[in-house]
Amino acid sequence: MIDVNAYLGHFAFRQLRHNTADGLLRFMDRKRIDRALVSSAASITYRNAHAGNEEVAAEIRNHRDRLTGCAVLNPVYAGWQDDLKTCHEEFGMKALRLYPRWHNYKLTAAACLDMVHKAGERGLAVTIPMRVEDRRQQSWLVDIPDVNRDEAAALIEAAPRVSFILTNGSGFTASRLGRKNNGLPANYAIDISLLTAELSNEIGQLLSNLGEDRVVFGTGMPFHYADPALTKLEILDASEAVKEKIRHGNARRILKL
Amino acid sequence: MQGVKVIDAHAHLHHHGNPNWSEDDRKLIDAADKLGIDQLCCSILPPERPTRMESFRDCNRYLAEAIRRFPGRIRGYCFVNPGYTKEAHDEVRRYVEEHGFVGVKLYNDYRANEPVVFPIAELAIELKIPILHHAGHVSWLPSPQPRISDAGHFAELARRYPELMLICAHVCGGGDWEWTIKTLRDAPAVFLDTSGSVADEGVVEMAVRTLGAERLLFACDMSLTASVGRIRGADISDADRKKILGANMERILSRRSSR
Repeated sequence: MIDVNAYLGHFAFRQLRHNTADGLLRFMDRKRIDRALVSSAASITYRNAHAGNEEVAAEIRNHRDRLTGCAVLNPVYAGWQDDLKTCHEEFGMKALRLYPRWHNYKLTAAACLDMVHKAGERGLAVTIPMRVEDRRQQSWLVDIPDVNRDEAAALIEAAPRVSFILTNGSGFTASRLGRKNNGLPANYAIDISLLTAELSNEIGQLLSNLGEDRVVFGTGMPFHYADPALTKLEILDASEAVKEKIRHGNARRILKL
Repeated sequence: MQGVKVIDAHAHLHHHGNPNWSEDDRKLIDAADKLGIDQLCCSILPPERPTRMESFRDCNRYLAEAIRRFPGRIRGYCFVNPGYTKEAHDEVRRYVEEHGFVGVKLYNDYRANEPVVFPIAELAIELKIPILHHAGHVSWLPSPQPRISDAGHFAELARRYPELMLICAHVCGGGDWEWTIKTLRDAPAVFLDTSGSVADEGVVEMAVRTLGAERLLFACDMSLTASVGRIRGADISDADRKKILGANMERILSRRSSR
């Protein structure tokens, strides 16, 4: 099982547990998660996001068989080109994670598109967490709405050769991103961490609308419990072959693992 | 989990203004079946605010029908707007005594510590039933629900009525959960329902550590996999998990049946 939505380090507004490499691996063992794509939780609020990439690279140095690094970079901050090179060539990271709301840029900004293209040229996937925290519980210091789904769609459309993974989102089926025959390239997948597998069953709808190659397993650990996502897979009305794609097949293909 | 009756202490069936209400009610029961939830303590809420008297009467009538439609699966909370003092009082008494409803559901028509709520609290004490109260604590934005209650309001009501069984709703769907848990520490009569869509790791452990497992009630408030998952995933003892999943709610419900 591959989790495309995992983190290491500290988050500015809430204590996280299991947030070291050793701690997360123990947590993953208990949940039978084999591998995780991990990025820095601290980079969400660091001005220089790359400092968090350095912390993650040091943490996972001896665990690359199970913890795959994911860079967090800000395309409107100095030096991202050098940092991207370091994350890819030196740290061996396989993806780039974007926080447009927290880092104060638009996904459709030229600088963002430039960085996304550069990541794509290196074969890195681009992941976009649609939210970090539920807005109702955010600190009085911040007011960060979820990533706009139409803006994400515009980026995906503008970079058809880049692979995207959208995480920590819901309500896709009410937007272009989750509709059948939406005219968008098939270059993006959506993680199940905040989707439903019952009642409105958004996972089932996305499987039907986008196809079985476009949904991936993600938990949001250690921000989140892993068990909600595991429970979704358990009750999802889908064949075992489809569940295997969600558990690991799709992520393995997208992340080139 | 074996050997425990799993009770969702906070669920909703669908208002009949929703054209798909019957199908959606059925989906809830089917999902509960898949997730091993034996009983759901439900209310039905109307779409408009503030709640009109005719609206809460419709809701409770729909719910009484649903209890008959799904025998043994649904327990009813009588939903009222306490601003209609006499009518709300009569509605609660009638649905508890004649239809077997097990509690009162209050939303955001008034805050829990406003005097208009006191007669309903006194009636709940007399009938030995809990009040499940909508809740939320957001620290930075003007609330779209200006009279939403938070744990501080519940603590105040509980100080006035220490024998009241008051349930603070959806700790995982009501804003800053750390604030809520810490605020309830010194309000020992207030229970906390664990429902909500927020999947944050550590909520249940902190609540057990701070409040004790005896004060926690498993609930989903329609976020089923998040709510089941957080109890499954919590690093707590199996004995505490059993209390949360159903034993505590059974104890609450038994107070009226053992009068």
